[in-house]
Amino acid sequence: MNGVLRVIMLRIGQALATAAVLASLCFVFVHALPGDLALRVAAARVGDERVTPETAERIRREEGLDRPLIVQYGQWMGNVAQGDLGRSLLSGKPVTQELAYHASFTLQLGLIGWLLSYLIALPLGIMAGFRPGGIVDRMTNALAVTLASLPTFLVGIGLITLFALTLRWLPPAGFRTGAHMVLPAFTLALSLVAFSIPVIRNAVVEVRSAFFMTYARVKGLTPAAAFRHHGVRNAAIPVVTYAALQFAFVIDGFVVIETLFNYPGLGELLVKALIARDVPVIMGAGLVIGFAFAVVSLLADLMRLWFDPRGLEEARA
Amino acid sequence: MSLVFEPVRARSLPTSIWPLAALAGLALTGPFLAPLDPNAQDLMRVMEAPSITHLLGTDHVGRDILSRVFAGAPHSLGLAVLCVTLASSVGVALGLIAANGGAFVRALIMRLADLMLAFPGLLLALLFAGFLGGGIWPLLIGLNLALWPQYARMAEAVATSVLREGHVEAARLAGFAERTILKRHVLPPVLRAVMPLATLGVGQAIMSISALGFLGLGLKPPTPEWGAMINELLPFLAEGFVQMAAPCAMIFVSVLTLTLAGRALAADPTGGGHD
Amino acid sequence: MTEAALTISYLSIHDRNGIALVDDVSLSVPRGGVLTLIGETGSGKSLIAQAVFGLLPAGLSVSGTITISGHKPIPASEPKRLAALWREQIMLIPQEPSAALDPTMRVKRQMALAGLHEEAIKPALAAFDLPGSTGDAYPFTLSGGMAQRVLVASALGVGAPIVVADEPTKGLDADRVTQAIATLKRLSAAGRSLLVITHDRRLAEELPGELAIIRDGRVEEHGPSAGLLSAPQSDYARTWLAADPRHWPRCHRCCDMTSLALSAHGLSFGWPKRGMLFEDLDLHVPRGGVLAISGPSGSGKSTLGDILLGLRRPTAGSVEWGGINIVAGSSAIKIHRQRYQKLHQDPITAFVPHLNFARQFLALQDVKSCLSVARDLPPLLERLKVNHRLMNRRPCEVSGGEAQRLALARILLLDPIAIVADEPTSRLDPVVQRETMLLLRAIVDQRGLGLVLISHDQTLLAAIADEHLALSPRP
Repeated sequence: MNGVLRVIMLRIGQALATAAVLASLCFVFVHALPGDLALRVAAARVGDERVTPETAERIRREEGLDRPLIVQYGQWMGNVAQGDLGRSLLSGKPVTQELAYHASFTLQLGLIGWLLSYLIALPLGIMAGFRPGGIVDRMTNALAVTLASLPTFLVGIGLITLFALTLRWLPPAGFRTGAHMVLPAFTLALSLVAFSIPVIRNAVVEVRSAFFMTYARVKGLTPAAAFRHHGVRNAAIPVVTYAALQFAFVIDGFVVIETLFNYPGLGELLVKALIARDVPVIMGAGLVIGFAFAVVSLLADLMRLWFDPRGLEEARA
Repeated sequence: MSLVFEPVRARSLPTSIWPLAALAGLALTGPFLAPLDPNAQDLMRVMEAPSITHLLGTDHVGRDILSRVFAGAPHSLGLAVLCVTLASSVGVALGLIAANGGAFVRALIMRLADLMLAFPGLLLALLFAGFLGGGIWPLLIGLNLALWPQYARMAEAVATSVLREGHVEAARLAGFAERTILKRHVLPPVLRAVMPLATLGVGQAIMSISALGFLGLGLKPPTPEWGAMINELLPFLAEGFVQMAAPCAMIFVSVLTLTLAGRALAADPTGGGHD
Repeated sequence: MTEAALTISYLSIHDRNGIALVDDVSLSVPRGGVLTLIGETGSGKSLIAQAVFGLLPAGLSVSGTITISGHKPIPASEPKRLAALWREQIMLIPQEPSAALDPTMRVKRQMALAGLHEEAIKPALAAFDLPGSTGDAYPFTLSGGMAQRVLVASALGVGAPIVVADEPTKGLDADRVTQAIATLKRLSAAGRSLLVITHDRRLAEELPGELAIIRDGRVEEHGPSAGLLSAPQSDYARTWLAADPRHWPRCHRCCDMTSLALSAHGLSFGWPKRGMLFEDLDLHVPRGGVLAISGPSGSGKSTLGDILLGLRRPTAGSVEWGGINIVAGSSAIKIHRQRYQKLHQDPITAFVPHLNFARQFLALQDVKSCLSVARDLPPLLERLKVNHRLMNRRPCEVSGGEAQRLALARILLLDPIAIVADEPTSRLDPVVQRETMLLLRAIVDQRGLGLVLISHDQTLLAAIADEHLALSPRP
């Protein structure tokens, strides 16, 4: 179990380092921005018109903005470490509350899109892998290359044009009903499929041509039995590892998709906060995304260890 | 008996070079090809369908779409090339230093690369572009931070394995300087390994830059960047399909060309056989 | 021949270009007997084994028939009909045993899938000196030799009367070869008919039964093993047998012990935290003399070679180049660097893969100013019997033997005092090995070089070396 523990510790360390870098980056950005920080905070608190030099001065003292930078940095990192991310400059609500609300939307969209992508990719990839060079293989390859060359927002715009504007089957944006989920989830799924189909196909091709598969038949197993006993598990290793990793890469997709479909997830929150320079929310969203990335990577590692005994040996070494 | 030296024969260029050359030409000469001023507004002729004067129609403030597509090429394509050139140079340099350096230097560089790879791809670029907003530099820095580690890893892996090979030892024994060994033995295979990655990387950078533009966090309007154009045109999607299709198609064709070229390079890294 | 267990008739295999890889081969394995096919790499012997199983790579066309255990002759071009006889009639012990086992499944379960009963697995493993715990192991934790014995144990468990072993000793150490031979003998003793494919002369000598020498896809000579080995009929078989280091011409020399090319005193080396590899070694290599270093894998032979060349620092002791200690100060190394050279085990990788030989030889002028490649190389190539046209090729375009002679040419241009040759011929075929080693020996004599020859092949060392240093296995 030593190996598993090592992997877990490594990922936790990675998550902490990611968090530290993000928090530090945000601190640097906040202080590197042009203009007086206290004035900006005051403007955000009481509104642009009512800011006076006195309120700015008061906020400077209250928030400790007059202390040396290094002390402020220590304070900042301390707060982050305690999970105190402050309040949103825009809404005034605690950041944690905002994050929890939006994260549930993102998780929902991410899970549905991810599952959908494997519902599409698994049958196509396996069929392509069973007949490399065949018609299914060539068609899925063309599909994958095309989709891989389309940025997510183009896929989304294409789907909106077709299903919302031309056919009028589905609503183009929003989040109130299940129908609102269809286009964003499909957009996400299609952008994931571009990369998972080749992975699945190659895993199947490689396992089918592995010598131990041939040898299993020399030992007397039928082709079907050989694939059941030896093929599935070995082909599953790269696929499962990749699938888990892809769940982490959903992040790139959902920022764009949520903005495009006006869907109130973390990505949309982050983009709005970035445009408004709402630092506490930006940092909070960044931390959640960074942590989610680390957790999913950890899950991917553990999955691989569970499926592939060789991984454990490597982790020990 | 004499040594017969064959003349160095030019390698036949891979067929994928022509679309790539066309893209490069577009990135360099795009603004000069624009038939009209890409930023000239004409509020009398907004969202006009394609015509002889406006081959691809006009946008919501009456600017000529064709001119904006051409003028946007250096931003969307040129910036992506610049980005990958920078990231791959930095990455390869750091990778070679890691492979040649001591255990400490190697650990330092490679752990740094691991740390950067622990960030989801677009996040760093989002933060930099979002905070420092609008210009080319935040975009470049943000994307580079995310991109260099993969080149460093690739360069380090290839260089480390080459340095272990017999011909490097033979060269050391023959008394060649380390610099010569690096140049003649290590760099060629490293570059061969990095080239396909970089070609695919340019495609990815185009997608990232246009995604940031689309989010309103990349190059700011009225700069004619393809992603920003799509962002501006999105509310008018129902009225102006052709106008929207133009920058979309440019992005798709550019990325597709680079993806296919990258794959061809990866499959045949010598670039078309030796004889 | 009515008693034949396996008969191969008129087997021919052609590649896409119509070139014959196997040409009209007819052979048979007597029931309960052994037939050994021996030949060099690329002679087509492994293709014959693959054809018997219908496992030829795609793109090859095949004709001829295979007759198995009195069944009707099956055309070799119908792999499906051959596959029907797998396991019941015929079993394969493949060339790379590790690749034949599913890496993610415990050995026990794989043996059960091969048809062994749960309770029969342990005895089957024990019969081949494998501990019971092997059953619970994953294949990647087994050595090549152990994986092979697992396969043989499973093969014995199934009833196939015919067993084909493809290169059963490839990549094994000398004592592991002994073990593999014993394993094969036991299979034979258990009444199985054996077809053994090998390039290893030892296997041919120790297995009873019949022997066929394969060359360029044809049977060069075929007969009872003992007779063929003692009195070969064909020229090729004779050349091939003469390639055995035991039959090389003896050379009588007396070398000048007063002039040392290389020496070492009190040499010790150990990896941090892993104990010493060797301690307190003394060695002397006179000019014109050959020192052999042998030992099992992992005993530190190659490391010792690197220390003698100044590529690695010893833990203790001194290395002297012409009487100057190179461990103490680096200036001596710099002055004499070019005069202490190495011949690599894999000569092809000793050249930059993407440059042709001409450019690599010309580059030597940059590091040795008095050298003129145009003047010095042609006579050297002639002496080494290397065609000068090879100069325009790249390393992947020449054979191993040619590459090793080119590597030797490159070293000799640097006018060395001593050469460390690390398994220089272990990847070469026997005939090429003989040619290369005798040439190297002649050059050592002629030029008065010191040669350190590192090898695990005792007969080779005995034929070439003046002195012998055997490293003991790691404690």
